[in-house]
Amino acid sequence: MQRGITLSGFRKNKGVVWILPAFLFLVVIIYYSMFFTFDLSTASWDGLSPVREAVGLKNYEKLFGDKVFWKCLQNTLVYLVVTFVVQNALGFIFAVILHSDVRLPTLFKCLIFIPTILAPATMAPVFRLLFSPQGLLQSIFNFLHLNITVDWLSRPDTALFVLMSVTIWEFTGMSFILYYAAMSQIDAEVLEAAQLDGAGNLRTLWHMVLPGCRGTTVSMGMLSVIGALKTFDIPYLITTGGPMHATEFLGTYIYRQGIRQSHLGYAAALSVILLVLAVAGAFLTNKANAKEG
Amino acid sequence: MLEIRTKRGKVLLQLLLILMTIPYIVPLIQMVAGSLGGRGFQNYKAVWDTGVVPVFFRNSAIISAGVILLVYIFNMTAGFGFSKMRFLGKEVYFWLILVALTLPEVILLTPLFVTFQHLKMYNTFLAVILPQTALQMPFTILLTRNFLNGVPDELMEAARIDGANTVQSFWSIVLPLTKPIASAVIVLTLINSWNAYLLPLLFLQSPDKQTVTLLPQFFQGEFTNDQTKILAAAVMTAIPEITAYLCMQKNFERGMSAGALK
Repeated sequence: MQRGITLSGFRKNKGVVWILPAFLFLVVIIYYSMFFTFDLSTASWDGLSPVREAVGLKNYEKLFGDKVFWKCLQNTLVYLVVTFVVQNALGFIFAVILHSDVRLPTLFKCLIFIPTILAPATMAPVFRLLFSPQGLLQSIFNFLHLNITVDWLSRPDTALFVLMSVTIWEFTGMSFILYYAAMSQIDAEVLEAAQLDGAGNLRTLWHMVLPGCRGTTVSMGMLSVIGALKTFDIPYLITTGGPMHATEFLGTYIYRQGIRQSHLGYAAALSVILLVLAVAGAFLTNKANAKEG
Repeated sequence: MLEIRTKRGKVLLQLLLILMTIPYIVPLIQMVAGSLGGRGFQNYKAVWDTGVVPVFFRNSAIISAGVILLVYIFNMTAGFGFSKMRFLGKEVYFWLILVALTLPEVILLTPLFVTFQHLKMYNTFLAVILPQTALQMPFTILLTRNFLNGVPDELMEAARIDGANTVQSFWSIVLPLTKPIASAVIVLTLINSWNAYLLPLLFLQSPDKQTVTLLPQFFQGEFTNDQTKILAAAVMTAIPEITAYLCMQKNFERGMSAGALK
Protein backbone atom coordinates (compact mmCIF):
# COMPACT_ATOMS: atom_id res chain seq x y z
CA MET A 1 0.00 0.00 0.00
CA GLN A 2 2.67 2.43 1.10
CA ARG A 3 4.70 1.57 -1.94
CA GLY A 4 1.76 2.06 -4.24
CA ILE A 5 1.21 5.58 -3.05
CA THR A 6 4.81 6.67 -3.54
CA LEU A 7 4.90 5.03 -6.94
CA SER A 8 1.82 6.80 -8.17
CA GLY A 9 3.15 9.99 -6.58
CA PHE A 10 6.30 9.55 -8.59
CA ARG A 11 4.37 8.83 -11.76
CA LYS A 12 2.36 11.98 -11.35
CA ASN A 13 5.49 13.99 -10.73
CA LYS A 14 7.96 12.45 -13.09
CA GLY A 15 7.57 15.43 -15.42
CA VAL A 16 9.98 17.13 -13.06
CA VAL A 17 12.90 15.23 -14.59
CA TRP A 18 12.56 17.46 -17.69
CA ILE A 19 13.37 20.59 -15.78
CA LEU A 20 15.81 19.11 -13.26
CA PRO A 21 18.98 19.36 -15.39
CA ALA A 22 18.46 23.08 -15.98
CA PHE A 23 17.32 23.67 -12.43
CA LEU A 24 20.21 21.84 -10.76
CA PHE A 25 22.68 23.62 -13.02
CA LEU A 26 21.27 26.98 -11.88
CA VAL A 27 21.34 25.92 -8.25
CA VAL A 28 24.99 24.91 -8.48
CA ILE A 29 26.13 28.14 -10.15
CA ILE A 30 23.64 30.87 -9.29
CA TYR A 31 22.15 29.88 -5.96
CA TYR A 32 25.50 28.75 -4.66
CA SER A 33 26.93 32.18 -5.55
CA MET A 34 24.00 33.97 -3.95
CA PHE A 35 24.44 31.99 -0.75
CA PHE A 36 28.19 32.64 -0.80
CA THR A 37 27.52 36.37 -1.23
CA PHE A 38 24.98 36.53 1.62
CA ASP A 39 27.50 34.78 3.83
CA LEU A 40 30.37 37.04 2.78
CA SER A 41 28.34 40.21 3.29
CA THR A 42 28.54 39.76 7.06
CA ALA A 43 32.31 39.46 7.05
CA SER A 44 35.38 41.54 6.47
CA TRP A 45 37.77 39.81 4.07
CA ASP A 46 40.44 40.84 1.58
CA GLY A 47 40.39 37.55 -0.34
CA LEU A 48 43.91 36.59 0.71
CA SER A 49 44.04 36.19 4.46
CA PRO A 50 43.01 32.71 5.63
CA VAL A 51 40.47 34.01 8.15
CA ARG A 52 37.41 36.11 7.60
CA GLU A 53 36.46 38.39 10.40
CA ALA A 54 32.76 38.26 11.21
CA VAL A 55 31.38 41.79 11.44
CA GLY A 56 27.62 41.14 11.55
CA LEU A 57 25.64 43.84 9.78
CA LYS A 58 28.41 46.44 9.83
CA ASN A 59 28.81 46.37 6.04
CA TYR A 60 25.15 47.21 5.64
CA GLU A 61 25.37 50.04 8.14
CA LYS A 62 28.33 51.48 6.27
CA LEU A 63 26.38 51.31 3.04
CA PHE A 64 23.61 53.63 4.15
CA GLY A 65 26.10 56.36 4.97
CA ASP A 66 28.03 55.89 1.72
CA LYS A 67 27.41 58.84 -0.61
CA VAL A 68 28.69 56.96 -3.64
CA PHE A 69 26.12 54.21 -3.05
CA TRP A 70 23.29 56.76 -3.20
CA LYS A 71 24.88 58.33 -6.26
CA CYS A 72 24.82 54.90 -7.91
CA LEU A 73 21.11 54.53 -7.17
CA GLN A 74 20.37 58.00 -8.50
CA ASN A 75 22.35 57.33 -11.69
CA THR A 76 20.57 54.01 -12.17
CA LEU A 77 17.16 55.62 -11.85
CA VAL A 78 17.89 58.46 -14.29
CA TYR A 79 19.47 55.99 -16.69
CA LEU A 80 16.52 53.59 -16.45
CA VAL A 81 13.86 56.21 -17.15
CA VAL A 82 15.69 57.97 -19.99
CA THR A 83 16.95 54.90 -21.82
CA PHE A 84 13.63 53.05 -21.47
CA VAL A 85 11.56 55.92 -22.86
CA VAL A 86 13.88 57.01 -25.68
CA GLN A 87 14.93 53.56 -26.80
CA ASN A 88 11.38 52.22 -26.96
CA ALA A 89 9.96 55.33 -28.59
CA LEU A 90 12.64 55.08 -31.28
CA GLY A 91 12.18 51.33 -31.65
CA PHE A 92 8.44 51.78 -32.01
CA ILE A 93 8.74 54.57 -34.60
CA PHE A 94 11.29 52.61 -36.63
CA ALA A 95 9.00 49.57 -36.56
CA VAL A 96 6.01 51.63 -37.74
CA ILE A 97 7.98 53.24 -40.58
CA LEU A 98 9.48 49.94 -41.69
CA HIS A 99 6.05 48.32 -41.74
CA SER A 100 4.94 51.07 -44.11
CA ASP A 101 5.75 51.55 -47.75
CA VAL A 102 9.42 52.62 -47.80
CA ARG A 103 12.37 51.77 -50.01
CA LEU A 104 15.18 49.40 -48.96
CA PRO A 105 13.57 48.17 -45.73
CA THR A 106 16.09 45.36 -45.20
CA LEU A 107 19.03 47.77 -45.43
CA PHE A 108 17.57 50.00 -42.73
CA LYS A 109 16.62 47.05 -40.53
CA CYS A 110 20.20 45.81 -40.65
CA LEU A 111 21.68 49.27 -39.97
CA ILE A 112 19.51 49.65 -36.88
CA PHE A 113 20.25 46.16 -35.58
CA ILE A 114 24.01 46.10 -36.20
CA PRO A 115 24.81 48.15 -33.03
CA THR A 116 23.06 45.48 -30.96
CA ILE A 117 25.36 42.73 -32.18
CA LEU A 118 28.60 44.70 -31.66
CA ALA A 119 30.11 44.22 -28.22
CA PRO A 120 30.27 47.29 -25.96
CA ALA A 121 33.86 46.20 -25.37
CA THR A 122 34.63 46.49 -29.08
CA MET A 123 32.87 49.83 -29.44
CA ALA A 124 34.18 51.47 -26.25
CA PRO A 125 37.41 52.82 -27.83
CA VAL A 126 35.31 54.17 -30.71
CA PHE A 127 32.99 56.06 -28.38
CA ARG A 128 35.86 57.40 -26.31
CA LEU A 129 37.26 58.89 -29.53
CA LEU A 130 33.90 60.03 -30.92
CA PHE A 131 33.09 62.02 -27.79
CA SER A 132 36.56 63.53 -27.43
CA PRO A 133 37.89 66.78 -28.95
CA GLN A 134 39.80 64.65 -31.50
CA GLY A 135 36.64 62.90 -32.68
CA LEU A 136 34.28 63.07 -35.60
CA LEU A 137 31.63 65.10 -33.76
CA GLN A 138 34.17 67.85 -33.06
CA SER A 139 35.16 67.89 -36.74
CA ILE A 140 31.51 68.24 -37.74
CA PHE A 141 30.98 71.10 -35.27
CA ASN A 142 34.16 72.81 -36.48
CA PHE A 143 33.08 72.38 -40.07
CA LEU A 144 29.74 74.02 -39.29
CA HIS A 145 31.57 76.79 -37.40
CA LEU A 146 29.70 75.88 -34.21
CA ASN A 147 31.52 76.95 -31.11
CA ILE A 148 31.05 73.70 -29.19
CA THR A 149 33.83 71.77 -27.50
CA VAL A 150 33.23 68.04 -27.27
CA ASP A 151 34.64 67.32 -23.81
CA TRP A 152 31.46 65.76 -22.54
CA LEU A 153 33.03 62.60 -21.17
CA SER A 154 35.33 64.51 -18.84
CA ARG A 155 32.57 66.65 -17.35
CA PRO A 156 30.52 65.26 -14.46
CA ASP A 157 27.32 66.96 -15.66
CA THR A 158 27.38 65.51 -19.16
CA ALA A 159 29.15 62.14 -18.93
CA LEU A 160 26.01 60.27 -17.88
CA PHE A 161 24.13 61.59 -20.91
CA VAL A 162 26.86 60.36 -23.22
CA LEU A 163 26.60 56.89 -21.67
CA MET A 164 22.83 56.92 -22.02
CA SER A 165 23.11 57.81 -25.69
CA VAL A 166 25.57 54.94 -26.17
CA THR A 167 23.11 52.58 -24.49
CA ILE A 168 20.26 53.83 -26.65
CA TRP A 169 22.45 53.42 -29.74
CA GLU A 170 23.24 49.88 -28.67
CA PHE A 171 19.75 48.62 -27.79
CA THR A 172 17.29 50.41 -30.07
CA GLY A 173 17.79 47.47 -32.42
CA MET A 174 16.42 45.09 -29.81
CA SER A 175 13.28 47.09 -29.05
CA PHE A 176 12.84 47.72 -32.77
CA ILE A 177 12.91 44.02 -33.65
CA LEU A 178 10.48 43.12 -30.84
CA TYR A 179 8.02 45.86 -31.81
CA TYR A 180 8.42 44.90 -35.44
CA ALA A 181 7.56 41.29 -34.58
CA ALA A 182 4.58 42.35 -32.45
CA MET A 183 3.22 44.59 -35.22
CA SER A 184 3.35 41.72 -37.72
CA GLN A 185 0.69 40.04 -35.61
CA ILE A 186 -1.73 42.96 -35.65
CA ASP A 187 -4.47 42.27 -38.12
CA ALA A 188 -3.84 44.49 -41.17
CA GLU A 189 -7.51 44.37 -42.17
CA VAL A 190 -8.62 45.89 -38.89
CA LEU A 191 -6.22 48.76 -39.39
CA GLU A 192 -7.37 49.27 -42.97
CA ALA A 193 -10.98 49.29 -41.86
CA ALA A 194 -10.17 51.96 -39.27
CA GLN A 195 -8.40 54.01 -41.87
CA LEU A 196 -11.32 53.65 -44.27
CA ASP A 197 -13.57 54.93 -41.51
CA GLY A 198 -11.50 58.07 -41.55
CA ALA A 199 -9.22 57.50 -38.59
CA GLY A 200 -5.94 59.32 -39.31
CA ASN A 201 -2.54 57.69 -39.12
CA LEU A 202 -1.69 59.11 -35.71
CA ARG A 203 -5.02 58.05 -34.25
CA THR A 204 -4.66 54.51 -35.54
CA LEU A 205 -1.13 54.32 -34.11
CA TRP A 206 -2.14 55.67 -30.71
CA HIS A 207 -5.42 53.80 -30.28
CA MET A 208 -4.74 50.52 -32.06
CA VAL A 209 -1.08 49.81 -32.77
CA LEU A 210 0.39 50.96 -29.46
CA PRO A 211 -2.14 49.01 -27.34
CA GLY A 212 -1.58 46.04 -29.65
CA CYS A 213 2.11 46.09 -28.71
CA ARG A 214 1.42 46.37 -25.00
CA GLY A 215 2.95 42.99 -24.22
CA THR A 216 6.20 44.06 -25.85
CA THR A 217 6.26 47.37 -23.97
CA VAL A 218 5.76 45.58 -20.66
CA SER A 219 8.44 42.99 -21.41
CA MET A 220 10.83 45.75 -22.43
CA GLY A 221 9.98 47.52 -19.18
CA MET A 222 10.94 44.50 -17.13
CA LEU A 223 14.12 43.94 -19.14
CA SER A 224 15.01 47.64 -18.78
CA VAL A 225 14.65 47.55 -15.00
CA ILE A 226 16.86 44.48 -14.78
CA GLY A 227 19.22 45.84 -17.44
CA ALA A 228 19.64 49.22 -15.73
CA LEU A 229 20.50 47.54 -12.44
CA LYS A 230 22.93 45.20 -14.19
CA THR A 231 24.65 48.00 -16.15
CA PHE A 232 28.38 47.41 -16.17
CA ASP A 233 30.16 47.16 -19.52
CA ILE A 234 29.35 50.58 -20.93
CA PRO A 235 30.23 52.75 -17.91
CA TYR A 236 33.19 50.58 -16.92
CA LEU A 237 34.72 50.60 -20.40
CA ILE A 238 34.03 54.20 -21.38
CA THR A 239 34.39 56.21 -18.16
CA THR A 240 35.24 53.61 -15.45
CA GLY A 241 32.51 55.26 -13.39
CA GLY A 242 34.08 58.72 -13.45
CA PRO A 243 34.57 61.62 -13.47
CA MET A 244 34.06 61.85 -9.71
CA HIS A 245 31.57 58.93 -9.63
CA ALA A 246 29.28 60.83 -12.02
CA THR A 247 28.71 57.63 -14.01
CA GLU A 248 29.07 55.16 -11.16
CA PHE A 249 26.54 52.31 -11.16
CA LEU A 250 26.09 49.55 -8.63
CA GLY A 251 27.87 47.13 -10.96
CA THR A 252 30.95 49.30 -11.43
CA TYR A 253 31.00 50.22 -7.74
CA ILE A 254 30.86 46.57 -6.66
CA TYR A 255 33.73 45.86 -9.05
CA ARG A 256 35.71 48.83 -7.70
CA GLN A 257 35.15 47.84 -4.06
CA GLY A 258 35.48 44.09 -4.49
CA ILE A 259 37.97 43.36 -7.24
CA ARG A 260 40.06 46.55 -7.26
CA GLN A 261 40.21 47.39 -3.58
CA SER A 262 39.63 43.93 -2.10
CA HIS A 263 36.85 45.06 0.23
CA LEU A 264 35.08 41.80 -0.47
CA GLY A 265 32.67 41.93 2.46
CA TYR A 266 31.48 45.41 1.57
CA ALA A 267 31.19 44.48 -2.13
CA ALA A 268 29.08 41.48 -1.10
CA ALA A 269 26.74 43.69 0.93
CA LEU A 270 26.34 45.97 -2.10
CA SER A 271 25.67 42.86 -4.21
CA VAL A 272 22.93 41.71 -1.85
CA ILE A 273 21.22 45.12 -2.11
CA LEU A 274 21.56 45.01 -5.89
CA LEU A 275 20.03 41.56 -6.02
CA VAL A 276 17.13 42.55 -3.76
CA LEU A 277 16.44 45.60 -5.94
CA ALA A 278 16.55 43.54 -9.14
CA VAL A 279 14.18 40.87 -7.83
CA ALA A 280 11.83 43.51 -6.39
CA GLY A 281 11.93 45.48 -9.65
CA ALA A 282 11.12 42.43 -11.76
CA PHE A 283 8.39 41.36 -9.35
CA LEU A 284 6.73 44.80 -9.32
CA THR A 285 6.78 45.22 -13.12
CA ASN A 286 5.29 41.77 -13.42
CA LYS A 287 2.62 42.52 -10.85
CA ALA A 288 1.71 45.87 -12.39
CA ASN A 289 1.30 44.04 -15.66
CA ALA A 290 -0.95 41.36 -14.19
CA LYS A 291 -3.18 43.95 -12.56
CA GLU A 292 -3.73 45.98 -15.73
CA GLY A 293 -3.87 43.09 -18.14
CA MET B 1 1.02 50.33 -41.31
CA LEU B 2 1.03 54.04 -42.10
CA GLU B 3 -1.22 54.91 -44.96
CA ILE B 4 0.36 57.48 -47.20
CA ARG B 5 -1.06 58.18 -50.63
CA THR B 6 0.71 61.28 -51.83
CA LYS B 7 4.12 61.14 -53.47
CA ARG B 8 5.30 63.97 -51.24
CA GLY B 9 4.28 62.09 -48.11
CA LYS B 10 6.22 59.03 -49.24
CA VAL B 11 9.35 61.05 -49.89
CA LEU B 12 9.04 62.75 -46.50
CA LEU B 13 8.66 59.39 -44.72
CA GLN B 14 11.72 58.02 -46.47
CA LEU B 15 13.63 61.16 -45.54
CA LEU B 16 12.60 60.82 -41.89
CA LEU B 17 13.80 57.23 -41.90
CA ILE B 18 17.17 58.25 -43.32
CA LEU B 19 17.58 61.09 -40.80
CA MET B 20 16.70 58.79 -37.90
CA THR B 21 19.18 56.17 -39.08
CA ILE B 22 22.16 58.54 -39.40
CA PRO B 23 23.04 58.56 -35.67
CA TYR B 24 23.27 54.76 -35.82
CA ILE B 25 25.91 54.94 -38.54
CA VAL B 26 28.06 57.77 -37.14
CA PRO B 27 29.96 55.56 -34.65
CA LEU B 28 30.64 53.04 -37.41
CA ILE B 29 32.03 55.79 -39.63
CA GLN B 30 34.15 56.99 -36.71
CA MET B 31 35.44 53.46 -36.21
CA VAL B 32 36.53 53.01 -39.81
CA ALA B 33 37.84 56.57 -40.24
CA GLY B 34 39.77 56.37 -36.97
CA SER B 35 41.30 53.03 -37.90
CA LEU B 36 42.72 54.56 -41.10
CA GLY B 37 44.31 57.51 -39.31
CA GLY B 38 48.09 57.90 -39.28
CA ARG B 39 49.51 55.09 -41.37
CA GLY B 40 46.30 54.04 -43.13
CA PHE B 41 46.03 50.35 -43.95
CA GLN B 42 49.42 49.74 -42.34
CA ASN B 43 47.49 49.82 -39.06
CA TYR B 44 45.60 46.72 -40.09
CA LYS B 45 48.79 44.99 -41.13
CA ALA B 46 50.44 45.82 -37.80
CA VAL B 47 47.47 44.38 -35.93
CA TRP B 48 47.35 41.27 -38.09
CA ASP B 49 51.10 40.70 -37.82
CA THR B 50 50.86 40.29 -34.05
CA GLY B 51 49.15 36.98 -34.88
CA VAL B 52 46.80 37.16 -31.90
CA VAL B 53 43.58 38.08 -33.73
CA PRO B 54 42.83 34.54 -35.00
CA VAL B 55 43.64 33.09 -31.56
CA PHE B 56 41.21 35.44 -29.81
CA PHE B 57 38.59 34.63 -32.43
CA ARG B 58 39.07 30.90 -32.01
CA ASN B 59 38.67 31.25 -28.24
CA SER B 60 35.46 33.26 -28.60
CA ALA B 61 34.14 30.67 -31.04
CA ILE B 62 34.89 27.78 -28.66
CA ILE B 63 33.25 29.54 -25.73
CA SER B 64 30.17 30.59 -27.72
CA ALA B 65 29.74 27.09 -29.14
CA GLY B 66 29.96 25.60 -25.66
CA VAL B 67 27.43 28.04 -24.23
CA ILE B 68 25.02 27.57 -27.14
CA LEU B 69 25.18 23.77 -26.85
CA LEU B 70 24.52 23.77 -23.10
CA VAL B 71 21.83 26.45 -23.30
CA TYR B 72 20.10 24.59 -26.12
CA ILE B 73 19.95 21.27 -24.26
CA PHE B 74 18.89 22.69 -20.88
CA ASN B 75 16.52 25.12 -22.51
CA MET B 76 14.63 22.69 -24.71
CA THR B 77 14.09 20.10 -22.00
CA ALA B 78 13.13 22.67 -19.38
CA GLY B 79 10.92 24.68 -21.76
CA PHE B 80 9.11 21.45 -22.63
CA GLY B 81 8.80 20.42 -18.99
CA PHE B 82 7.39 23.77 -17.90
CA SER B 83 4.97 23.98 -20.78
CA LYS B 84 3.71 20.42 -21.23
CA MET B 85 4.37 18.43 -18.05
CA ARG B 86 2.50 18.40 -14.76
CA PHE B 87 4.40 18.08 -11.51
CA LEU B 88 4.36 19.26 -7.95
CA GLY B 89 5.76 22.73 -7.30
CA LYS B 90 6.04 23.71 -10.94
CA GLU B 91 5.33 27.37 -10.19
CA VAL B 92 7.99 27.40 -7.49
CA TYR B 93 10.64 25.96 -9.78
CA PHE B 94 9.69 28.44 -12.47
CA TRP B 95 9.95 31.40 -10.12
CA LEU B 96 13.31 30.21 -8.86
CA ILE B 97 14.53 30.17 -12.45
CA LEU B 98 13.11 33.64 -13.11
CA VAL B 99 14.88 35.04 -10.05
CA ALA B 100 18.10 33.90 -11.69
CA LEU B 101 17.16 36.09 -14.67
CA THR B 102 17.60 39.17 -12.53
CA LEU B 103 21.08 38.20 -11.37
CA PRO B 104 23.80 40.70 -12.33
CA GLU B 105 26.97 38.90 -13.34
CA VAL B 106 29.15 41.08 -11.13
CA ILE B 107 27.66 39.21 -8.14
CA LEU B 108 29.09 35.94 -9.44
CA LEU B 109 32.67 37.21 -9.58
CA THR B 110 33.91 36.65 -6.04
CA PRO B 111 32.15 33.33 -5.32
CA LEU B 112 33.16 31.82 -8.65
CA PHE B 113 36.69 33.20 -8.46
CA VAL B 114 37.27 31.53 -5.11
CA THR B 115 35.58 28.29 -6.20
CA PHE B 116 37.29 28.01 -9.59
CA GLN B 117 40.68 28.48 -7.97
CA HIS B 118 39.90 25.64 -5.58
CA LEU B 119 38.79 23.39 -8.44
CA LYS B 120 41.77 24.34 -10.64
CA MET B 121 39.30 25.64 -13.24
CA TYR B 122 40.64 29.17 -13.22
CA ASN B 123 41.95 30.26 -16.65
CA THR B 124 40.04 27.51 -18.49
CA PHE B 125 37.21 27.97 -21.02
CA LEU B 126 34.82 26.17 -18.68
CA ALA B 127 35.23 28.97 -16.13
CA VAL B 128 33.48 31.24 -18.63
CA ILE B 129 31.18 28.73 -20.34
CA LEU B 130 29.44 27.49 -17.18
CA PRO B 131 28.48 30.87 -15.66
CA GLN B 132 27.57 32.25 -19.10
CA THR B 133 25.19 29.33 -19.61
CA ALA B 134 23.62 29.90 -16.21
CA LEU B 135 23.15 33.61 -16.93
CA GLN B 136 21.55 33.12 -20.34
CA MET B 137 19.35 30.13 -19.62
CA PRO B 138 16.57 31.79 -17.57
CA PHE B 139 15.60 34.17 -20.37
CA THR B 140 15.66 31.53 -23.10
CA ILE B 141 13.60 29.14 -20.96
CA LEU B 142 11.01 31.90 -20.59
CA LEU B 143 10.91 32.41 -24.38
CA THR B 144 10.73 28.70 -25.14
CA ARG B 145 8.01 28.03 -22.59
CA ASN B 146 5.93 30.87 -24.04
CA PHE B 147 6.44 29.47 -27.52
CA LEU B 148 5.50 25.92 -26.51
CA ASN B 149 2.42 27.17 -24.67
CA GLY B 150 1.16 28.10 -28.13
CA VAL B 151 1.59 24.52 -29.38
CA PRO B 152 -1.65 22.59 -28.84
CA ASP B 153 -1.53 19.78 -26.27
CA GLU B 154 -3.63 17.63 -28.62
CA LEU B 155 -0.54 16.92 -30.71
CA MET B 156 1.03 15.16 -27.74
CA GLU B 157 -2.24 13.39 -26.89
CA ALA B 158 -2.44 12.03 -30.41
CA ALA B 159 1.12 10.78 -30.23
CA ARG B 160 0.41 9.06 -26.93
CA ILE B 161 -2.61 7.30 -28.35
CA ASP B 162 -0.34 6.11 -31.15
CA GLY B 163 1.83 4.55 -28.44
CA ALA B 164 4.65 7.08 -28.24
CA ASN B 165 6.12 7.78 -24.82
CA THR B 166 7.03 11.26 -23.63
CA VAL B 167 10.62 11.07 -24.81
CA GLN B 168 9.55 9.93 -28.26
CA SER B 169 6.97 12.66 -28.68
CA PHE B 170 9.44 15.26 -27.42
CA TRP B 171 12.00 14.08 -29.93
CA SER B 172 9.83 13.59 -32.99
CA ILE B 173 7.00 16.09 -32.49
CA VAL B 174 8.08 18.92 -30.22
CA LEU B 175 11.70 19.40 -31.30
CA PRO B 176 10.93 19.80 -35.02
CA LEU B 177 8.21 22.33 -34.14
CA THR B 178 10.60 24.48 -32.12
CA LYS B 179 12.86 25.42 -35.03
CA PRO B 180 11.77 29.08 -35.17
CA ILE B 181 12.21 29.71 -31.46
CA ALA B 182 15.42 27.67 -31.47
CA SER B 183 16.99 29.97 -34.04
CA ALA B 184 16.03 33.04 -32.00
CA VAL B 185 17.48 31.40 -28.88
CA ILE B 186 20.69 30.51 -30.69
CA VAL B 187 21.20 33.99 -32.14
CA LEU B 188 20.50 35.69 -28.80
CA THR B 189 22.84 33.32 -26.98
CA LEU B 190 25.50 33.81 -29.62
CA ILE B 191 25.32 37.62 -29.36
CA ASN B 192 25.47 37.56 -25.57
CA SER B 193 28.23 35.02 -25.20
CA TRP B 194 30.32 36.49 -28.02
CA ASN B 195 30.01 39.97 -26.49
CA ALA B 196 30.61 38.92 -22.88
CA TYR B 197 33.33 41.00 -21.33
CA LEU B 198 33.41 40.75 -17.56
CA LEU B 199 33.73 36.99 -17.10
CA PRO B 200 36.53 36.55 -19.67
CA LEU B 201 38.28 39.62 -18.23
CA LEU B 202 38.42 38.04 -14.83
CA PHE B 203 38.62 34.32 -15.45
CA LEU B 204 40.92 34.12 -18.48
CA GLN B 205 44.37 35.43 -17.71
CA SER B 206 46.73 34.10 -20.38
CA PRO B 207 46.53 35.71 -23.87
CA ASP B 208 46.18 32.32 -25.56
CA LYS B 209 42.84 31.86 -23.74
CA GLN B 210 41.36 35.35 -24.10
CA THR B 211 38.39 36.39 -26.23
CA VAL B 212 37.74 39.06 -28.86
CA THR B 213 36.14 41.42 -26.35
CA LEU B 214 39.52 41.67 -24.64
CA LEU B 215 41.35 42.60 -27.86
CA PRO B 216 41.17 46.41 -27.34
CA GLN B 217 42.73 45.98 -23.92
CA PHE B 218 45.41 43.66 -25.26
CA PHE B 219 46.37 46.15 -27.94
CA GLN B 220 46.35 49.01 -25.49
CA GLY B 221 49.22 47.20 -23.81
CA GLU B 222 50.82 46.17 -27.08
CA PHE B 223 50.71 49.51 -28.93
CA THR B 224 50.87 51.83 -25.89
CA ASN B 225 47.64 53.64 -26.67
CA ASP B 226 48.03 54.02 -30.44
CA GLN B 227 44.29 54.59 -30.98
CA THR B 228 44.42 53.94 -34.74
CA LYS B 229 45.56 50.35 -34.25
CA ILE B 230 43.08 49.73 -31.48
CA LEU B 231 40.33 50.88 -33.83
CA ALA B 232 41.74 48.73 -36.62
CA ALA B 233 41.42 45.79 -34.24
CA ALA B 234 37.84 46.87 -33.49
CA VAL B 235 36.98 46.88 -37.21
CA MET B 236 38.54 43.45 -37.63
CA THR B 237 36.39 42.19 -34.76
CA ALA B 238 33.24 43.80 -36.05
CA ILE B 239 33.37 42.62 -39.67
CA PRO B 240 32.90 38.88 -39.02
CA GLU B 241 30.14 39.62 -36.52
CA ILE B 242 28.27 41.81 -38.98
CA THR B 243 28.72 39.23 -41.75
CA ALA B 244 27.41 36.44 -39.52
CA TYR B 245 24.40 38.54 -38.57
CA LEU B 246 23.60 39.40 -42.19
CA CYS B 247 23.63 35.69 -43.02
CA MET B 248 21.25 34.85 -40.18
CA GLN B 249 19.11 37.97 -40.40
CA LYS B 250 16.08 36.36 -42.09
CA ASN B 251 15.97 33.38 -39.71
CA PHE B 252 16.41 35.54 -36.68
CA GLU B 253 13.59 37.88 -37.63
CA ARG B 254 11.29 34.94 -38.26
CA GLY B 255 12.23 33.45 -34.89
CA MET B 256 11.50 36.66 -33.03
CA SER B 257 8.10 36.97 -34.71
CA ALA B 258 7.35 33.34 -33.98
CA GLY B 259 6.05 34.11 -30.55
CA ALA B 260 8.85 35.54 -28.52
CA LEU B 261 7.61 38.05 -25.94
CA LYS B 262 4.05 38.36 -27.02
